[in-house]
Amino acid sequence: MTIEAINEQLLRAIGVGVALIDLDTLELSFRNDTFDEWFGGPDASARLGEIFPSLDLDALAAEMAGGGKFTAEANFKIKRRRMTVALDITRAGNASERIAVLVCQNITRIKELESMIDSYSMMVERNTHEIKREKEQVEKLLLNMMPRSAYEEYKSFGVVAPRIFESVSVLTLDFENFDKVLEVNDPAVIVSELNDIYTAFDRIGEQFGCERVRTNGDSYFAVSGVPDPVLDHAESVANAAVRFLRYLSRRNESHPIRWQARLGLASGPVVGSVVGVQKYIYDVFGPAVEKASKTRARAPGMAIAADASIRDLLDSRFAMTPLAPAKSRPEPQSGLFLLEEASQSEAHGLS
Amino acid sequence: MEKSLFDKYGGFSTVSKIVMRLYDKLLDDDDVGPFFDDVDMPKLIDHQTKFVASLMGGPASFTDTHIQRAHHNLEIAPMHFDRLKEMIEETLQEFSVEQDDIETVLGAFEARRDLLIDV
Repeated sequence: MTIEAINEQLLRAIGVGVALIDLDTLELSFRNDTFDEWFGGPDASARLGEIFPSLDLDALAAEMAGGGKFTAEANFKIKRRRMTVALDITRAGNASERIAVLVCQNITRIKELESMIDSYSMMVERNTHEIKREKEQVEKLLLNMMPRSAYEEYKSFGVVAPRIFESVSVLTLDFENFDKVLEVNDPAVIVSELNDIYTAFDRIGEQFGCERVRTNGDSYFAVSGVPDPVLDHAESVANAAVRFLRYLSRRNESHPIRWQARLGLASGPVVGSVVGVQKYIYDVFGPAVEKASKTRARAPGMAIAADASIRDLLDSRFAMTPLAPAKSRPEPQSGLFLLEEASQSEAHGLS
Repeated sequence: MEKSLFDKYGGFSTVSKIVMRLYDKLLDDDDVGPFFDDVDMPKLIDHQTKFVASLMGGPASFTDTHIQRAHHNLEIAPMHFDRLKEMIEETLQEFSVEQDDIETVLGAFEARRDLLIDV
């Protein structure tokens, strides 16, 4: 076998489609086996434009005239599979011979893989988006249960270390005769009423720098100065307390249930922490909380009782009237006070 | 949570090869292949990727309604369904998926038989 014969056999057998183009007629003069397999044997058309209808023949001619290289892609079908080949046409021979070599690389698999990656990355993107949305919902829920700084700590370390807050103010509230209200009203109505009222309290509280810690049935508990320090925390809770009552009296005028709130205010140290492992909740406890609850128990309906600890922190904008000591239980020696907004108290005095 | 087959067998890296192999088989098969005669390649590949990923618990899932709607105008006979099931089994075997896991995949596929075949 001569070298030429071996060469030709090799050329025929390789997995790349090879053909020679007569640039004058744009017909193929030689086609190897792979090319024939893809585009039909000797019986098939030999015209370049017919084999590759999408080929820009003018652009090819221009490129070949300059002796350059022309590349393109072409699609065709074998059975039901879409094949893609990369065409590479190079001017060959000398100036008198107007021929070019056409090489076709099969890039079908690459195209298929590209499509698969597109499809997969779209799936992943959609999933990532969903996960992100779920994460935001979880975050929102957790932020309902704990302040942001506690949440950030929880996220980074998995726990929230208890923190002492030396000077904060606490507001507690409950409703007089709540058990009677429960007896005579539909539970669904009560829940909806409380929901309405607590939402209003939250809004008012937020306006004055207090944050609700929790509610438990008819008791509402908010604090100012946890976890972020508030300079005038006493004033915050006093202001909120006064407005809670104002809101309720207005609301009572147009609603069948006349809610009679009792409020207790106190200042002092508290501890803030996440409590529980499986069912965690951010809670605040300590002397100020205790004092505020005890103080509340002494408040008449629609009034605010203040412990001496908070009285000392408030200025003349709030009027303090000493409460007569209760006979039945021990009371702090410093006494308890009824708190009102100063102007309101003066108005009372005039009437 | 139990690891999905998708993760167990190496995630997308393996699944992509399974997808390609199944795609080759599908197109070459003269029973099932004709269903894809007029389907454009990217669409078919997309279909296959999601199909295999969902069977193996990857990041794709289809509701029954979705599957039903996608196939309702195709005349799929029990023979076609069985043939595809065989091809899935062969392909998974080629990639050394454990027989138990293959059964799980085929079970998930079988569970949807009624959605695809016109009764």
